[in-house]
Amino acid sequence: MSNKQLNRRIKWSLDSVRINRVSTEPLAAPPAYSSSNVGSNNEVSKKTDVSRLITKKSWDLALAPMKQVPMNLFIMYMAGNSISIFPIMMVGMLLMRPLQAIWSTKATFKMMETSSAVLQMIVYVLGNFVNIGLALYKCHSMGLLPTHASDWLAFVEPPIRQEYLGGGLILS
Amino acid sequence: MASFRSICIIPLFITLILNLTWALYEDQVGKFDWKRSFVGKVKYANFESKRLIVATEENVLASLNLKDGHILWRQLLEDPKEQQINALHVDKEIITVSGAANNWFVRNWDINSGTLLSEWTLYTERLVPSKFIITKNTLVHVVPLTGSHLEVTTYNLQTGENYGKTIRIAAPWITDISNCILTTNYYVCISSNDNLGQLYYVDVISESNIVHTRPVQSLIGDGSGPIEIIEIEGDISALLLVRSKVAILVLLDGENIDAKPFNLMPNAICVLNEDRTLIFQLEATDDPKKLIRVKSKDFVNGDDELSIDLDYPLGLGAPIILAGQCRGSSCDLLLTTTDNALLLLKLPEGKILWTREEALSNIVATEFFELPVSELDASIENEFKTSSSSILNMLIHRLSTQVKQLTNLVIGGQLLSNNGLVRDKFGLHKIIVVATKVGKLFAIDTLTGSIAWSYRLPNVKSFNSLNTKKMLLFVQRTARYAPLPAQCLLLAEDSNTGRGVLFQFDPITGFSSNGIERLNYKIAQALLLPYEDEDNSKPVIVLSTSNEVFLYPSTSRTLVYQHINNVFIYVVDSVRGLLRGFSFHHSTERSLKVSPTWEVRINPSKLVALSAKHPNERVHSQGRVLPDRSVYYKYVNPNLIAIATLSEDSVHKHVLSIYLVDGVTGLILYSTSHKRAKGPVHLIHSENWLVYSYFSERFRRTEIVGAELYEGHLQSNSTVFSSHAVSLLPHVQTQSYILPANPLNMAVTLTERGITNKFLLISLSNGGVIEIPWLLLQPRFNDVPCGPEESCIPYMPEVPLPNEAVINYNQTLGRISGIEVAPARLESTSHVLVHGLDIFYTRVAPSKTFDVLKEDFDHLMIVLVLSGLILASYVTKHLASKKALKQVWK
Repeated sequence: MSNKQLNRRIKWSLDSVRINRVSTEPLAAPPAYSSSNVGSNNEVSKKTDVSRLITKKSWDLALAPMKQVPMNLFIMYMAGNSISIFPIMMVGMLLMRPLQAIWSTKATFKMMETSSAVLQMIVYVLGNFVNIGLALYKCHSMGLLPTHASDWLAFVEPPIRQEYLGGGLILS
Repeated sequence: MASFRSICIIPLFITLILNLTWALYEDQVGKFDWKRSFVGKVKYANFESKRLIVATEENVLASLNLKDGHILWRQLLEDPKEQQINALHVDKEIITVSGAANNWFVRNWDINSGTLLSEWTLYTERLVPSKFIITKNTLVHVVPLTGSHLEVTTYNLQTGENYGKTIRIAAPWITDISNCILTTNYYVCISSNDNLGQLYYVDVISESNIVHTRPVQSLIGDGSGPIEIIEIEGDISALLLVRSKVAILVLLDGENIDAKPFNLMPNAICVLNEDRTLIFQLEATDDPKKLIRVKSKDFVNGDDELSIDLDYPLGLGAPIILAGQCRGSSCDLLLTTTDNALLLLKLPEGKILWTREEALSNIVATEFFELPVSELDASIENEFKTSSSSILNMLIHRLSTQVKQLTNLVIGGQLLSNNGLVRDKFGLHKIIVVATKVGKLFAIDTLTGSIAWSYRLPNVKSFNSLNTKKMLLFVQRTARYAPLPAQCLLLAEDSNTGRGVLFQFDPITGFSSNGIERLNYKIAQALLLPYEDEDNSKPVIVLSTSNEVFLYPSTSRTLVYQHINNVFIYVVDSVRGLLRGFSFHHSTERSLKVSPTWEVRINPSKLVALSAKHPNERVHSQGRVLPDRSVYYKYVNPNLIAIATLSEDSVHKHVLSIYLVDGVTGLILYSTSHKRAKGPVHLIHSENWLVYSYFSERFRRTEIVGAELYEGHLQSNSTVFSSHAVSLLPHVQTQSYILPANPLNMAVTLTERGITNKFLLISLSNGGVIEIPWLLLQPRFNDVPCGPEESCIPYMPEVPLPNEAVINYNQTLGRISGIEVAPARLESTSHVLVHGLDIFYTRVAPSKTFDVLKEDFDHLMIVLVLSGLILASYVTKHLASKKALKQVWK
């Protein structure tokens, strides 16, 4: 216990006395200074770093639609199920944005210059599909989807008459 | 709280309903509706300075303008089926005696305005034949009792006070009342219709009451044939004795009797002209252009004073002189014809001043016809039809039609060669063909209400079914098949033999190539088949009373035979209470035969109403959408017949039963009954619903019931409907309402495709025709909420009848006898013709005119704004290019 405390104290206390004694020795590197060679490894590390950044960035991009889902859910909840201009506009936006995004997937990922990032693209598209699904669910709950028989009733042709009847009161 | 809410909601809904109904703006009055008024067949007429006072068989008293024949005023008395005007006297005021049997109304009318000034009733205890003499202040009631005596009672004309005892004059010589007449003061009889007869006459007003007698032979001379005694018009004590269409005028004056030594026609009348009496009579001439000759004779010696051949209009029946008036040398004669027309003849010019077609006051059949396309359109249509032969032919045809079009353009007006009867874009211009009770056909233009043509069928009368007069009118071919004319078939009854009469004609021109065809059998029923033969005309099957089948035209036999297994006919015998269905299964290609398939007896109940669906009705929506967005499918059976019967009951007095019978199989799909209900019962049957009204004796009010038939959530067969395939009986929803009015007739609107909402048209006894949205009467589901969100009007027991819903606004219609409805080509609109004593035509649009621009749509504004914008865009374009150029130079 005491040992540990001591250690800790050594770690954080600077011994001012020893400075005078050990003057010939080179000065200790400042904290967080790495004396390891920077020059020789510079190029490689730079390269890997950028590609890592790109992949990181592309993953960010790919996951962005997924991250929107909770927000969209909240918007949907707030919009309510009544059919009026604002909810309709919101639903329209919800539906249009992912569609547009899917359409311009390639353009979006072109920014990433190098890698083909197929996986990210797939994830991106999937995320957008999730959003479309949410929008469709919203449409459904608002009753905008023609999923019931009643929605097609106006197109039902009247049945063809098989028998033909005439007549009436006897004329006398 | 709930009641408070309902209080709030109901006015909201009433305003909603008001929005549904469609009232007229003041400037729209008469824009597309018209009304023609009639008085009926004239029975008594009287000239009174500038006007005519007429009393008619429709129990109507009216005053007509002498110059143009327009109605100045018209008063409707009681129902003409029960009561009739029996005497008319015009002095300073008009006196009428009207009524029936033993109850007579004596009424006093103002001449100028037609207002009722006073009225009293004359009531006798016995049911006796009555005759009336009206003098200045007294009304003499003469009751002849066959073989016994005459009873004469005198009343004060104004008050109805009895002036004394009833005088009895012994008159055992009254053998037959039809052999007796009343002329001024005298009651005259002949004892028999042959030469041995005696003429008895007695002055019923004088105190003495001496009966004078004279042998008929001494007055009329020798001859063979029955002798008739008839009255002569004009205020003189005279009568006509007629034998074989030759009449002798006999003057009565106390003891003296004077038979004039000249011959007259039986239709002669006497007219007083400045102390002189003239006799007018009509004779037939041999001249085919001027068929009628009017003659006036001197009263004393019978010399001819005047003889004029008339330009008698063709198509009118034989005339009779009703009344006359002379002033100096000019005379007016009022003629009536066998087809109930009324004419005013001006003498000595011999000109007919005006004609009134009073036959139109009794319409028995109606049909709406589409007009043919204009010549121009027809030529364009022909171009596509006949062009198949060769290129050269096509070119020639094209050039010839274009030359024709060019000449039409230059000359102009050629297109309207057939009286402007040309089809319009929306099918709003139609022609209405009506058949009247006297057997005269009229074609009426829907735009103006003028008569396009008329055709008189002699010796034809209407069928009698369930106390209504009826003729059958079938549309065999419409005007759509351009080179072929439209074709229509009328079925009626011969007034002499009671056998059938068939008349085939072109409804647009009134031309008939075959003329009237008298059939040698009695017609029981007839049926128009929906199949077209090679001439595009639909055959008509006629069933005789002995169940023989006839086909018109008979050339389409093979076509009919192909479809014969799908055709059924039903016949309802209201007297025997028997409903029978027939099929044609046992027909051969040579001869058609009916075989009975079902029979329903409704005895001992009495059939009061019957209604089948309109054969041309189309149902657009196959189901009703419930709030949970599921579909409840309608049971739309086009073969369904609705029947209402009344039966006597010891407990409930009357019981009204309603049946829905499938006319093909005879299956009763639904029946219900109402206790203590009585007629009049009106039925409307359309789509999948039935509406009927009756009088509830329990609550003493008219109730109206809506019943709807549903198949359920599943449709058994969505492609074909067959009456034979019944898996489940339909579900029936009903709801009843109070109708705060007295309905006379009911009808439902009909549109081309059946998309538009339905309106019920109900004619009321107050002379109005009201439209009620079917939505108001549609039964509400119990388990389904009803509110504005479901676009459902909550149940209100009383049907609101707002004044805005009266389609004839303030034009009261007299004695409405029927409402006829036909679709226009515009889906939103249907034509409505209301007939009775008046004819009223209008158009109704139950869902408003959703398919046309509003009348006040500003075309000019739109054009101006658009052209302005286009101009502005060009100007700015120009300016912008200029500016760009300048900027480059800087």
